[in-house]
Amino acid sequence: MNATRFLFHTRSLRLPLLCVAGLRNKSLSSGPIALHRFLSSDHCTRRCLCSKPVFRRDPSQSEESQNKPDKTLISYDNLFERAALDSKNKATFSHVLDVFKNKDIRRRGHVEFIYAALKKMPEFGVEQDLAIYNKLLDVFPKEVFIPRNFIQRMFNHYPRQQECGVQILEQMENYGVLPNVETKVLLIQIFGKKSHPIRKYQRLMYWFPRFKHVNPYPVPRELPQDPVDLARFSLHRIAADLNAKVTVYQMPSSDHNEDGNLVCQPYIVGIQSPDQREVLAKHRPNRPVFVEGPFPLWLKRTCVYYYVLRADPLPPEEKVEEPVDPERNFFYPLELELDYDRDLGDDEDFDVDEVEEGPVYAMCMTDSGDRDTLAKWISGLQETNPILGCTPTVFRLDSGPSEVQSCTVSDHPEIEDVLQGQKMAQ
Amino acid sequence: MMAMVISGVTRACARMHFRARALTVQVLGLQSLRGFRTQSPSLAFAKDIFLGKINKAEAFPYPEISNEELEEIGQLVAPVEKFFMEDVDSRKIDLEATIPPKTMSGLKELGLFGIQIPEEYGGLGLSNTMYARLGEITSMDGSIAVTLAAHQAIGLKGILIAGNDEQKSRYLPKLASGEHIAAFCLTEPGSGSDAASIQSRATLSEDKKYFVLNGSKIWISNGGFADIFTVFARTEVVDTDGKKMDKITAFIVERAFGGVTSGKPEDKLGIRGSNTSEVHFENTRVPVENVIGEVGGGFKVAMNILNSGRFSMGSASAGMIKRLIEMTAEYAGTRKQFGKKLGEFGLIQEKFATMAQQAFVMESMAYLTAGMMDRPGMPDCSVEAAMVKVFSSEGAWMCVSEALQILGGLGYMKDYPYERYLRDSRILLIFEGTNEILRMYIALTGIQYAGKILAGKIKEMKKGNLSVFMEIFREKLQNSLSKKIDLGLSGPDGVVHPSLTDSAKKLEENVFYFGKTVDGLLYRFGKSIIDEQLVLKRIADVLIHIYAMTAVLSRASRSITIGLRDHDHEVLLANTFCAQAYFQNNYRLVQLEKNSPENHDASIKKIAQQILERRTYVCSHPLDRTF
Repeated sequence: MNATRFLFHTRSLRLPLLCVAGLRNKSLSSGPIALHRFLSSDHCTRRCLCSKPVFRRDPSQSEESQNKPDKTLISYDNLFERAALDSKNKATFSHVLDVFKNKDIRRRGHVEFIYAALKKMPEFGVEQDLAIYNKLLDVFPKEVFIPRNFIQRMFNHYPRQQECGVQILEQMENYGVLPNVETKVLLIQIFGKKSHPIRKYQRLMYWFPRFKHVNPYPVPRELPQDPVDLARFSLHRIAADLNAKVTVYQMPSSDHNEDGNLVCQPYIVGIQSPDQREVLAKHRPNRPVFVEGPFPLWLKRTCVYYYVLRADPLPPEEKVEEPVDPERNFFYPLELELDYDRDLGDDEDFDVDEVEEGPVYAMCMTDSGDRDTLAKWISGLQETNPILGCTPTVFRLDSGPSEVQSCTVSDHPEIEDVLQGQKMAQ
Repeated sequence: MMAMVISGVTRACARMHFRARALTVQVLGLQSLRGFRTQSPSLAFAKDIFLGKINKAEAFPYPEISNEELEEIGQLVAPVEKFFMEDVDSRKIDLEATIPPKTMSGLKELGLFGIQIPEEYGGLGLSNTMYARLGEITSMDGSIAVTLAAHQAIGLKGILIAGNDEQKSRYLPKLASGEHIAAFCLTEPGSGSDAASIQSRATLSEDKKYFVLNGSKIWISNGGFADIFTVFARTEVVDTDGKKMDKITAFIVERAFGGVTSGKPEDKLGIRGSNTSEVHFENTRVPVENVIGEVGGGFKVAMNILNSGRFSMGSASAGMIKRLIEMTAEYAGTRKQFGKKLGEFGLIQEKFATMAQQAFVMESMAYLTAGMMDRPGMPDCSVEAAMVKVFSSEGAWMCVSEALQILGGLGYMKDYPYERYLRDSRILLIFEGTNEILRMYIALTGIQYAGKILAGKIKEMKKGNLSVFMEIFREKLQNSLSKKIDLGLSGPDGVVHPSLTDSAKKLEENVFYFGKTVDGLLYRFGKSIIDEQLVLKRIADVLIHIYAMTAVLSRASRSITIGLRDHDHEVLLANTFCAQAYFQNNYRLVQLEKNSPENHDASIKKIAQQILERRTYVCSHPLDRTF
């Protein structure tokens, strides 16, 4: 009860933050995870509270019990490492579990074994596999830990085992694995209906589904492998315009040139919407456009980089408001000839100070952020935006990510170069 | 033979009487023929409503035609009706998606291709009222009605209202006889109502003798076989400061000029027998004499043509519904279910009442408007015509659907004409300006008028002028204390028959509060009201219903006064309609109040925005799960 209330409080604090972050930054993908982490910390407090009396009763034993698992963990670690020699996958992992289960009917040392297994799960790549978690729970002997009378029920019955069960659920939570009915049945069989693991299970089932869709811009679990597809996906994600069209200006390829050297052609994938094209067509050629980047975009654990083509906002004195053409609509006037405006009492807009930014005309992604590649992008854009042919293009590039990786950081962190569009076209 | 000759003679005599009148309506240049009442073109009735007043003189008494005209129209209507009953096979026209040549020539012989063309050019020279009367008959077949309307309501209307004498004498005779068919070419692939996206271009040749026209037009009614096109294209115009501008110009283009090609006929949901196709112009040479109006003045021409062509939809829809009532009443009177005739069931009776009421209202509105338009001095009835169009197209769609419902499954079968009527009537809500666009026109035209008149008062109020506030407060107090709204429709010098007094009071109350509401809305929104489309829609709806109430009251009053047959039925219909419209109007007016709980516009907009943002239905499936 306490914990739920606590959760509720924090939920009200945390959620708006998450939502705002989610809306502002579309690359945020770990909304639920952050929350899980938080939830787990809550559970820790509760668990400590529960187990305290046990430790207090026999401090020496508790110390022993704290040390002991470490030792045994090592021995069970070995079990997994031996299996790992073969190959680290789901099959070997579940084989180890089977071996342990069938070795001893009493399942001696199963708590230590489970702790060891939990630790090894990411290594075997099964940390998000519900079947394995259920199998792991199945290691517990059934019905032994269920309290049988009110005294047992009142006190913490088999605290170590219960805590271990909670720990399994906790790890599931951290990896965003939703328990299923089988988990519940197992937990009831092992610990009984009102045990701590069952409570933990209930809390999980309460919150998990509610936050499943908390991120309005979800990133798929599996990102596309092909870099061009990934770029396409990422660009659509940033553009946030359903009319925007992705153009692949250059496919990745590697070829041998006349000297026999390997020449790699980077991919160039760009995106532009009809609205952007329209705004660009109205750009004044005497003002430069800028190619800027790279900017990072996080998709779960993957980071990709993109470049933008933009311009500075027009200074206020150069802005011209186009008057509404009175001969535009055959059917009704587009503007009323009245000289009074909306009443203040009906102006429901908020008073917002807006910082004007320059328009972004197009975006692209490439695996090599050098000027030549980006110049190819611009010349590709020229086909649909002829105005770029007579507009000076300024490249303002930070040292790209690839350059950092290959340790060829240029001495100038910012390369600025003015290129006449006409020249580029050739 | 003998009878025909006699009828021809009487017709000619009758025409002598009203020829001048018919001409003044159509031809501005000949207006002086009438010789009296040269008032300035003014929009009569609708605009006053926005100020909370009723211009009695415009709508009362209900317009009449002379006995000669009545006789004349009777003689015209009879053969047309006979022709439509006997020689037009609507089912075949619909199935084969074409009007047979024999039917076409029959229509031409009847003179239906030149109903409003003056007699001196070989047309029938009929007034708007009589045009509306013929529309009732031609609506028996949707395809023919649309073909005729595309020819004369829009196709040749440009020549008729804005053409010079030379153009008229050159083109109108052949158009009137139906030897040449006209089409109206405005819509382009990228442009519906937006003049800015018209891409067709006409360039003046070097010798300045002709324009070279290039461009494509889509969805042109009669486009496949028309010989004369009214085409709108961009031309370069030098304005007063010497700046070159692109402006729209109207041209008369003959197919014979060359370079005119038509696409294949479009396959449509309804009015399948009418021809709709693309028309392409490729380097078509159009002589400069063929410009309608002046170069660069095409926008006004287009607007006038569109505004003048709409009023007849009211009588056409009413004619259609009247026939549907006959057909379905026959069925309801013979078919038995559970030992009872269909007509004895309340739910079926309701449908008949709805249809009769709708037809009655449409008819009243249509002939009131036509009568107003026939008055000398070219009154601007475009708002009234738009109201007739909106009301009658929506009423027609609803009534056809109800008629089909009376027949149940039978109505759905192709063996019966109901499904064809349903398909045909759907276009009424779309063409000649969609109802949405016309609602904007109706509301904005009135708002513009009222806004200018009320500007002084509103500006004083915004300044916080106490005396203005006091004045308003005093007025409000007076209204709430005396609670008597009298706009003079009933009472000692009233124009409405006493048996309709209650309805007249309701109308007056609606008009009065409508005026107040418009006043308030102008104060609240100012010129930004143009962006409040949901508000404008309600304004238009209230106005349409006010106009409808006025029309039925005027008509029913006249019927009682002169003792028309079955006028008690008219009174019943009028009172029922007014009572219903009154409640609907009150509801809309309440919705227009500030912070009204009945108004859900904000939520409606939000729903739409969320859907359009994602371009899909947003909700999860009801069977979806999260665990």
